[in-house]
Amino acid sequence: MKQKPDTTHSQAGEPATIELADDRPETLLRHFEAQGWGDGLPMVAPTEDRVAAMLAGLGGGGSPDEVVATLPPRSGLATPRLIAINAVLAGCAPAQMPVLVAAVEALGHPRLNLRGVNATTHPVAPLVIVHGEAARLGGFNGGAGAFGPGNRANATTGRAVRLILNHVAGAAIGSGDASTQGGPAKYSYCVAENIEESPWGSLATSVDVVSRAHEPSDADGPAPVSAVTVHCGEAPHNVHDMESADPAAILNKVASTMASLGSNHGPISQAEFFVALCPEHAATCADAGWSRSDVAAYLFQRARLPAGEVRAAFALRAWAPWLNAVPDNELLPMTEHPDNIRIFVVGGPGKHSSVIPSWGMTRSVTVPVASNPGSKPDTAPPTDPPQGA
Amino acid sequence: MTVQVYAPDGATGPDPATLAPSPPVLSGLRIGVLDNTKPNAGLLLGQMASRLAERTGAIVAHTETKNAALAAPDQVLGRLTKEMVQVVLTGTAD
Repeated sequence: MKQKPDTTHSQAGEPATIELADDRPETLLRHFEAQGWGDGLPMVAPTEDRVAAMLAGLGGGGSPDEVVATLPPRSGLATPRLIAINAVLAGCAPAQMPVLVAAVEALGHPRLNLRGVNATTHPVAPLVIVHGEAARLGGFNGGAGAFGPGNRANATTGRAVRLILNHVAGAAIGSGDASTQGGPAKYSYCVAENIEESPWGSLATSVDVVSRAHEPSDADGPAPVSAVTVHCGEAPHNVHDMESADPAAILNKVASTMASLGSNHGPISQAEFFVALCPEHAATCADAGWSRSDVAAYLFQRARLPAGEVRAAFALRAWAPWLNAVPDNELLPMTEHPDNIRIFVVGGPGKHSSVIPSWGMTRSVTVPVASNPGSKPDTAPPTDPPQGA
Repeated sequence: MTVQVYAPDGATGPDPATLAPSPPVLSGLRIGVLDNTKPNAGLLLGQMASRLAERTGAIVAHTETKNAALAAPDQVLGRLTKEMVQVVLTGTAD
């Protein structure tokens, strides 16, 4: 059986409404700021009409007040309606709703340890990776500049996740989020996988994906066409290689970026790396006959530091038992197993890849995106409500 | 013209765990320390336990450690129970 999110209620009541003096954005922002809500940026007012239009992005069926996940530390009950309210605030289009609901389901999975993710002093943010048909239907960008601005689906889905964490999960700075410095990824952190240019297909079809590798009943079925992975980690660390024509030379630079005493991978061996290869770097690897697991195996072998150096840096270590036996004068891998290195393809032309280190005490979660009966590949997705709604 | 908008936070479920009521008198009770292993947590909690014991007649019975980012494993709670601990001092964050 697939492990379900920790839902303690099956249904929640309809959220409360607030009467604002007028419909100006400044009025909404002022009221939200006074309540400790929002992310500091202007928002779209979640009126009943707009929220209904957003919910239509799920294609009907199911209760809008059915609990999708219970989100700590506030124990907030995330429902489709509440997700839609925050989606409106963030500026989402209704076509993004299936992805957003799947992302919230992933956030509620016990393995992700959202309580720790929200509470830590680390600058961790949940990265939402959209796989397959859901990316196309929702208008997500996995190509040029995908981690950056300019695409509504990426920008507003990531922002909606943050607003849901702030509002529903109670992860506001100072109360539910103790992050020392915060980080730009906490505003919005969402990207599509560039499956069209991935020589290895989708990460979501890989046996390496946590939800499939550890939940065998799921692996019996067909690979999900649409899925979302949530990985709680740092902002991307750039890997620049313009000149190498062989995989090892490129991956040596990736490994160098991974092998750092500054990340939580030194003291926590279970932590996963997500490595976002650009299409050109991925092609160099694949053209030389390297599979996705070959790349991970090589990085596992190369991303290492002297064991004594890591021991000296961290008095407190959560290491797999076998790592404790590595002598000080030998090299220590930055994670305990090659399967903890997740390879996917993102980006456009150019030769920049990135490494996304983990917070550590979390595991990524991949969940399928529910098919939307109202959206077929050749029809337009649900759209925004009319102006003034 | 006024406008009605939804509140963005919604309802909450029950707390996943609740604190046991504090004992009215500590004298004679066995105190356990659950160190979250953050820097100085063990020192602070240990000192607090010692001071409490001096002032109230409680007994510092046992110390356990746990990872700060995770709930205490059943084995840790089991050892505290085995030591007949009636009061546990612990902390969150750094």
